[in-house]
Amino acid sequence: MIIVENLVKSYNSNHVLVGIDHSQQRGEVVVLIGPSGCGKSTFLRCLNQLEIPDSGRITIDGVTINGGHSPRTSDEREQQRQLRMRAGMVFQSFNLFPHLTVLENITEAPIVVKGMPEAEAERRARQLLAKVGLENKADAYPAQLSGGQQQRVAIARALAMDPKVMLFDEPTSALDPELRDEVLRVMRQLAEEGMTMIVVTHEMQFARDMADKVLFFDGGRVAECGPPEQIFSNPKCDRTREFLSRVATK
Amino acid sequence: MSNPLRSARLTAGSLLVLFLAASQPRVAFAADHLEQIRQRGVLLWGADAEGGAPYVFPDPQHLEKLIGFEYDLAEALAAKLGVKAKMVQNQWDQLIPALDRGNFDIILNGLELTSENQQRIAMSQPYFVYAQQIVTRKETDGLTGLADLKRKPVGVLSGSVAERLVKQSAGIDWKSYPGNVESFQDLKVKRIEAVVLDLPIALHYAKPDPALKLSGAAFSPGFYAIGILKQDATLLAALNQAVKDLASDHTLERIDRKYGIWDERQECLKDYRPDTAVEQRRPALTIRDRIGYLPLLLKAAVVTAELSVLAMALAVVAGLAVVLLRLYGLGPVRWLAKAYVEVIRGTPLLIQLFLIYYGLPEIGIRLNAFCAAILGLGLNYAASESENYRAGIQAIPHGQTEAALALGMSRWQTLRHVVLPQAAPVVIPPITNDFIAMFKDTSIVSVITMVELTKEYGTLASSNSDYIVVGLMTAAIYFALSYPASLFANWLEGKLRHDHR
Repeated sequence: MIIVENLVKSYNSNHVLVGIDHSQQRGEVVVLIGPSGCGKSTFLRCLNQLEIPDSGRITIDGVTINGGHSPRTSDEREQQRQLRMRAGMVFQSFNLFPHLTVLENITEAPIVVKGMPEAEAERRARQLLAKVGLENKADAYPAQLSGGQQQRVAIARALAMDPKVMLFDEPTSALDPELRDEVLRVMRQLAEEGMTMIVVTHEMQFARDMADKVLFFDGGRVAECGPPEQIFSNPKCDRTREFLSRVATK
Repeated sequence: MSNPLRSARLTAGSLLVLFLAASQPRVAFAADHLEQIRQRGVLLWGADAEGGAPYVFPDPQHLEKLIGFEYDLAEALAAKLGVKAKMVQNQWDQLIPALDRGNFDIILNGLELTSENQQRIAMSQPYFVYAQQIVTRKETDGLTGLADLKRKPVGVLSGSVAERLVKQSAGIDWKSYPGNVESFQDLKVKRIEAVVLDLPIALHYAKPDPALKLSGAAFSPGFYAIGILKQDATLLAALNQAVKDLASDHTLERIDRKYGIWDERQECLKDYRPDTAVEQRRPALTIRDRIGYLPLLLKAAVVTAELSVLAMALAVVAGLAVVLLRLYGLGPVRWLAKAYVEVIRGTPLLIQLFLIYYGLPEIGIRLNAFCAAILGLGLNYAASESENYRAGIQAIPHGQTEAALALGMSRWQTLRHVVLPQAAPVVIPPITNDFIAMFKDTSIVSVITMVELTKEYGTLASSNSDYIVVGLMTAAIYFALSYPASLFANWLEGKLRHDHR
């Protein structure tokens, strides 16, 4: 489903990713943990081409993109678009469109990108809103919602494009603790329904409960990788142990 | 007479002159002005040397030195009064108001001896007999009199006798120019078929030009005379005597011949006797007179409104194109868009208009004045609008673009559906400001023969000496045009800003 081969990314002399390999089956939930600046967000952003990797190859659901340069031909642009449509992204800061209602936030991309008829886009959007528990907020504007509600709308917005994989970039970090659960609940539900997911998070409980595989990032590489029981109970790598003890004492 | 090649002066018009005048040498009034001039030892004479050949103009060999038949005449007159002459530069169509204000002692600059002028100031014994001349392209035939000019586009100088004549003879499609050089230019590129102007100017500019000819005999002769304040009776008497002396001792003839403008008409100056005194006071302007200005002002206001709206429409569209190329174009295009903005912002609108209207015909692109005005104003404002857009677009957080791209939208879709709708309320206020500024900037296009509101104001105010009332009326019309624009923008901004932030 997802194959990443030797992904490299640097900003000037700052080597953010130094050769990441990763493969993931359909329906697997992978959680990325690690200290800040370790490259996990950059990895996620490379997957849907918000960052262009210096080299390496990314394949999602049969669509392959080679790193090295921004798309130059219309074929390359179409490849990039296909990849992005397969990978739904949820941002730390929600990034809802403030000039559109909740419903329009969700229908905009299916209508504009896929050319979906408005009525159908709206019907599906209402289903998605029900799924994230916000069916009564369809006509509200983002600024009228709490952070947790906004992030649930953002998840619905990403789902509206029928992605094959959902990428979550620290989806609860910008939220007050009491608002995190409503977002995590939606994510758990998605995972249980069999969505393929990659989640960058500091929510260790979520990782323990939901992850099929946990990747510990350090210094731009995957320092350790394994099922959550192993990583959390019996880490092999000192850096992992050190990181986990720091997180645990917080 | 009117001066050729006046350029920048029309926009600010008379108000500018009022301010500039304050910095010019002032003439204090004494009981006897002549006595005062003698004590001072200098006769200050007002004239416009800007493109003023052959009246008074910079010597082509020594540009810092003035020459001209009026320059020589002023020297000769001053000598008769026993003083030196000093010219005070003043825009030609504002000479009488400047004399009223005491900026100089006399006007000596092709001022026609007309009853209209005599109602405002005293006029001396005439020193020159002028006539009107039709100038055409060399190959044009049959345009030898005013009657031949019916339904023909004809150029005249703003505020000249010729302008009055063509306006009065029905059916001539006249255009007013700020200067002669511009009208000859348009004649050569066939925007107009003929120019009517004072003979001395025709002799000086058109006769040596191989592309042009003086067509038919000169007509409608009249006199140039010195303008003096009405209360300066002794000065008037002294000048009358001096002019008579110069006529009878052939000084006038010698000066005229030197500049190639002598003809047999001038003979009558020696025997000139003033008509029965035209000493009638000008009747005070009534409300009815002023209501009479309205149709003219409103007609000009329509032109101003059309220019503003069309030029702004062009600016808003072209500005968007420029900013999109600048932000999203490929390397060289990006650079070109940036260069466009910098060059347009860094050069005067006036020069841009001159280049478009008078310059482009030289490479075969001939626009009429209206199109040239819209193009000039529109392209100029496009630079400013593109900067407004840029500020608006860059105010939208990058996360918005990322979110849209991550959903699979193309760059263009992202811009169209996410960035621009959010930028719109941000850029509406500065664009409105520019739109209101545009109403006022349209006044500058009178330099390319457009008669718009400020031009009409200048004409009405100076010919009626009614600056305050015409000025207030004109200002009120400008306000009536721009205030609704401002209200509309407020409404639009409110409508667009529906994100409830």
